[in-house]
Amino acid sequence: MLEFRQVHKAYATPLGPLEVLTGVNLTLAAGESLALMGESGCGKSTLLHLAAGLDLPDRGEVRVAGRAISSLGEAGRARLRRETLGLVFQQFHLVPSLTVLDNLRLQARLAGREDRAWSAELVERLGLAGLARRYPEQLSGGQQQRLAIGRALAPRPALLLADEPTGNLDESTADEVLDLLLALVRDTGSALLMVTHSPRVAAPLDRCLQLSHGRIG
Amino acid sequence: MLTALLTLLSHYRRHPGQLAMLLLGLWVAGALWSGVQAINASARDSYDRAEALFTTGLDRLERRDGEPLVRADFVSLRRQGLPVSPLLEGTVVTSRGERLTVIGIDPLTLPGDSAFATGGSRGELTAFFTPPWQTRLAPDTAPRLGLERQAAPGTEPSLANGHRLPPLVLAPALPPDTLVVDIAVAARLLERGTAVSRLVAAAGALETAPEGYRLGRADTLVDPGELTASFHLNLSAMALLALIVGLFIVQAALGLALEQRLGLLRTLRALGVPGRTLVALLALELVLLGVIGALAGIASGVWLARALLPDVAATLQSLYGAAVGTQLRLPWHYWLGGLGVTLGGLFVAGSGILWRAARLGVLGLGQAQAWRAGFQRQLRGQAIAGTLAALLALAMWAWLAAQPAGEGLVAGFVLVGAMMLACALWLSPLLAAGLSGLGRLARRRPLTQWALADLQLQLPRLSLAMMALLIALSANLGVGSMVGGFRLTFLDWLDQRLTADLYLRPPAGQFDAVQAWLVERDEVAELLPTADAESTLLEVQAGGDQRSLEVPVTLFGITPGARLTPTWPLLETRAGRDAAWRALEEGEAFINEQLALGRGIAPGDRLVLRSPGGHQRVTVAAIYPDYGNPRGEVLLATAALRERFAAAPGSLGIVLADTDPPRERQAETLSRALAARFALGREALRDQREIKALSTEIFERTFAITRALNALTLAVAALALLASLLAQARERRRRLAPLWALGVTRGRLAGIQLTQLGGAALATGLAAVPLGIAITACLVAVINVAAFGWRLPLHVFPAEIALTLATALGVALLAAALPALTLWRTPPRTLLAEEEAT
Repeated sequence: MLEFRQVHKAYATPLGPLEVLTGVNLTLAAGESLALMGESGCGKSTLLHLAAGLDLPDRGEVRVAGRAISSLGEAGRARLRRETLGLVFQQFHLVPSLTVLDNLRLQARLAGREDRAWSAELVERLGLAGLARRYPEQLSGGQQQRLAIGRALAPRPALLLADEPTGNLDESTADEVLDLLLALVRDTGSALLMVTHSPRVAAPLDRCLQLSHGRIG
Repeated sequence: MLTALLTLLSHYRRHPGQLAMLLLGLWVAGALWSGVQAINASARDSYDRAEALFTTGLDRLERRDGEPLVRADFVSLRRQGLPVSPLLEGTVVTSRGERLTVIGIDPLTLPGDSAFATGGSRGELTAFFTPPWQTRLAPDTAPRLGLERQAAPGTEPSLANGHRLPPLVLAPALPPDTLVVDIAVAARLLERGTAVSRLVAAAGALETAPEGYRLGRADTLVDPGELTASFHLNLSAMALLALIVGLFIVQAALGLALEQRLGLLRTLRALGVPGRTLVALLALELVLLGVIGALAGIASGVWLARALLPDVAATLQSLYGAAVGTQLRLPWHYWLGGLGVTLGGLFVAGSGILWRAARLGVLGLGQAQAWRAGFQRQLRGQAIAGTLAALLALAMWAWLAAQPAGEGLVAGFVLVGAMMLACALWLSPLLAAGLSGLGRLARRRPLTQWALADLQLQLPRLSLAMMALLIALSANLGVGSMVGGFRLTFLDWLDQRLTADLYLRPPAGQFDAVQAWLVERDEVAELLPTADAESTLLEVQAGGDQRSLEVPVTLFGITPGARLTPTWPLLETRAGRDAAWRALEEGEAFINEQLALGRGIAPGDRLVLRSPGGHQRVTVAAIYPDYGNPRGEVLLATAALRERFAAAPGSLGIVLADTDPPRERQAETLSRALAARFALGREALRDQREIKALSTEIFERTFAITRALNALTLAVAALALLASLLAQARERRRRLAPLWALGVTRGRLAGIQLTQLGGAALATGLAAVPLGIAITACLVAVINVAAFGWRLPLHVFPAEIALTLATALGVALLAAALPALTLWRTPPRTLLAEEEAT
């Protein structure tokens, strides 16, 4: 489902180029879940951005669902995100001007495959049933992250990319959100790549890899 | 992509204020522009219809003895085989008290291609001049008779004098407020017996004037559309200014709406909406909002035009003698044009924002610093564009300096526009640099330093509103100083020219007898008779050069004397004032500034003028100012003018011998004596002060619309500032919350806000002062000379400058007061809650 081959990525800084990824190799099979761990600034988010086609590698190859993202144009990468991927961010990134229900359906609608029954089930299972007409700012942090997970899973993506999905939540809320995320991923059959710095969050996933000094260790 | 579009638009559901600000900008910009264009379109329609009428484009005959024309004149000339046609003109009052012009014609003799003569079939023509006759009128004249347009045909409305009009027939080609009837009907309606107002002939049909008549050529009449072109251009320039200021609001609103949606854009991109699609959707959003705003603007513009048109019509009538209807008549392309200009302006305002949004990378989209870095780039871009605009202004100035005076109306407007643009573009970089410098100076005053740094952070959002304020303030100062200077000059000029105490206009046949009688009166110290005639300037001889021309000019006769000579203003003479006056008495001429600038004539040049007795040659001894006259004028001594050009006598200026008894009483006595001796009515004698008051009133009315548009532009700029402040009020409160937590009182924080904005506005006002003076200089030295033909002295009014600065400060404080009041009234805990929520 996801494959990184000798991927290099550097950023230009006033002090010269900063090498973030230096020859990363990684594979993730369909339906598999993988935790990617590492210190702050080790390149976890950069790796996730490359997987989502939000950025392009300097060298090496990133393949998602069999397609090399470097060979896709801007529109092709956007289509890939729309139809194949689901994204969950640490900062939620909900649309403040849409209601809870509209936020949840947003990506499925953009992908052109809204499943009303599945959306309704997600609302129930995410515990958002009584909040459907509220706006994101009227929700707690845990509720907002549950909504972000629902939005990402509504179109049943083949690959879910999650960037520190519990990083902004307290411990008990984080556990609750994580359980829900894994259950839903299992039910949809999606592959999961989760970036985290917490071993406790990484533990329930199928595999765990460590990113250090720009390489998978 | 409907989902993505609706998601983008949902932003306005949560921020209706931004939507209101955007629509407000479009609305006011569109309203002022469309309003002025509606006025211009209606005026042009009136000019076209007036041109199509038989009263223009025809040669005219008048009796040489000054007696009124009668039917016998027409009969006698027709018997001589001359192709003349009679016209009878007058005013009737409707039963509703409205005044309408009646023109009586003889359709059988009326020359060829006038709108009336060529319109209609033989049957219609017969119906026109046989009982029960017809009254032809434009559809927009019907409401003046108290009738609906559709119901008007066939009705026979009554007039105030009891007469009934013949059945009405609509004729769209006729000018407004005009009724055209057979001459026999006009004589009955106007109760004028056998009188005839004019005898007309096709242009060039008469080679010479018949014996006993004076011939006025059609080409001495100037086309009203041509005469008033500069007036309409000035109106358009003011409207364009308002449009630009309105579009500044639009750009500020768009920038804010996009900045606040950067996160949303990033999320949508992350969810798979391509960047190009997003930019296209933002453009579609612009179109949707633009159409709504433009339609509202056009509707309001039409309303505004309806409100202003009567004043504009009165101004055009008094300034140029051009008849403009007070009913709007808008062609189809007006509506499309209004929509096109507003949408075009919107895209100009929005293109920069779309360009910036398209260029931001997906990972940088959500980051405010990426946007701010964009602002830094924008400041550099503005400085470069401002420099280019300044260079353009310099180039225009250099080009204009090399042209003869009176050339380059469009270049003059480009010069003013480039100067304003350069200053507006430089304003934000200069404010940013100034704040940065002040911040370094205020290191030991933490709160001041914070306030300066905070104002710098606000600049991206405030800069557009400040630019709009700068443009509006400088235009206000520039136009205000020009009008003020013009007013002073005009009033001085009136005093200098209207030197007699009383003015009498006797009928031509009695003129000499009245003059001889007045000379004998004890209370009369001096008489200043005038005369006037029409002529054509055929040739100018300057040194060894000769230039052939065909320019219609007015000839005017004055009487040099003890009262007139010392005060009559002269701009340029060949050999000094005294020599010029001696030369005038000896048969030389003065010419007005319009003619001198327009035709490049200088003192010492010789003019060849057409006269009834052949060509006459006169030498130009001086040039005099002649404000408000749209035509070229040649001044001669009255006696010489009457003798050489067979000019008709005009008025008699009466200088009273003594100021005791008061002038009113002397005027009364003289009026009674004139009535007893010559049967002259009281209205024949006018007090100089009455004429001055009337002229001043006309002057004030002329600039009423300029002042109104100027004030509206300033109001729009104030709205821009208010809208910008309100749009960011909540975010400002969040930024102020930590200061409150650190122990700064809310009152002090509100005070800081007021000081920040007041200071920025004052800086803007100070920048507007030199720019406003430069605009005045361009207006009086370039644009007025090119548009009207006369130059004005440059006046700078300290009170006007103080008012500009006070307005800047007042507008800013007013705009800042509402957010500051809200801050002052917000409970402190709410401030912190808002801060935590970010």
